[in-house]
Amino acid sequence: MGIAALITAIITFVLAVIPCVGLIAIIPGIIAIVLASVGLSQASRRNAPRGVLVAGLIIGILASLISLSQLFVAGKIAKSADKWPDGIQNIINDVQDNVIKDLEDANISIKVESNGDKVEITSNPEKENREKTLENLEGGNKEKNDSVPKKK
Amino acid sequence: MTVYQRKSETGNNLKVRPANESYLIINLFLAGVILLIFAYSGFFSPDEDKYPVTCIHEKITGEPCVSCGLSHSFSLIVRGRVAEAYKWNIYGMRIFLFFALQLVLRAAFSIFYMKYRNTRKQLIVIDCIGSGIIFIVAFRQFIVYIISGILS
Repeated sequence: MGIAALITAIITFVLAVIPCVGLIAIIPGIIAIVLASVGLSQASRRNAPRGVLVAGLIIGILASLISLSQLFVAGKIAKSADKWPDGIQNIINDVQDNVIKDLEDANISIKVESNGDKVEITSNPEKENREKTLENLEGGNKEKNDSVPKKK
Repeated sequence: MTVYQRKSETGNNLKVRPANESYLIINLFLAGVILLIFAYSGFFSPDEDKYPVTCIHEKITGEPCVSCGLSHSFSLIVRGRVAEAYKWNIYGMRIFLFFALQLVLRAAFSIFYMKYRNTRKQLIVIDCIGSGIIFIVAFRQFIVYIISGILS
């Protein structure tokens, strides 16, 4: 029992340090701990030597902890990788906000020509003024049909 | 099973069966595991790229880890294509040498263990410390990767 525990623990320890397979090492790690624990309980009943069992238990626990830490490291890296899309989304939102702000502050001039009639609307930079102008235009021409006449 | 004759402290001849020696069994199993790793590297062709073990870390995080390409690198080293192996994983050669050295050390320490009875405890201590240092040197970058992942 002690030999099996120690061999499993040593193999687990080597596996646990390799990041590619470090996460799998938790399985033999648990096996090593169980084997060593069972062996220790049997050895205590029979007053048998416990050196190998204790070594197996210590290395097994250490290897399992390293394996668990791999999970922690992988989780951290995955979490930081997940932040990338959020970062890109933030950049897009910033650009969108800047574009909207620029449009709000911009001078807008609309020229409409229809059958020789010319209408020119020039907007002030401020949004409130533009809204006011639009309201005035709409209010003043409520009854006027501003749709483009269909060509016969 | 080979039976080795040894003299006890009282001068009596004692039979040493490798099957009864924990250290020898552990060495045998570890050597077997290392040979399995080499067999795995030799069995799967680096040109076909059909390795059953995939990086779990990459699956979770979407980013390659420090040990990605290690199987490929091992397969290339086994086939003598060392320059290509470095391209797949820069630490592949170091890890491969660790396993190769461990295979030699398991055999060498087992022989010393059977031959020199009086220095067995010292031999095990030297083995543990030496293997530990070699392990840290070989897997240094992986350990740093895990620690930096936890701390960041």
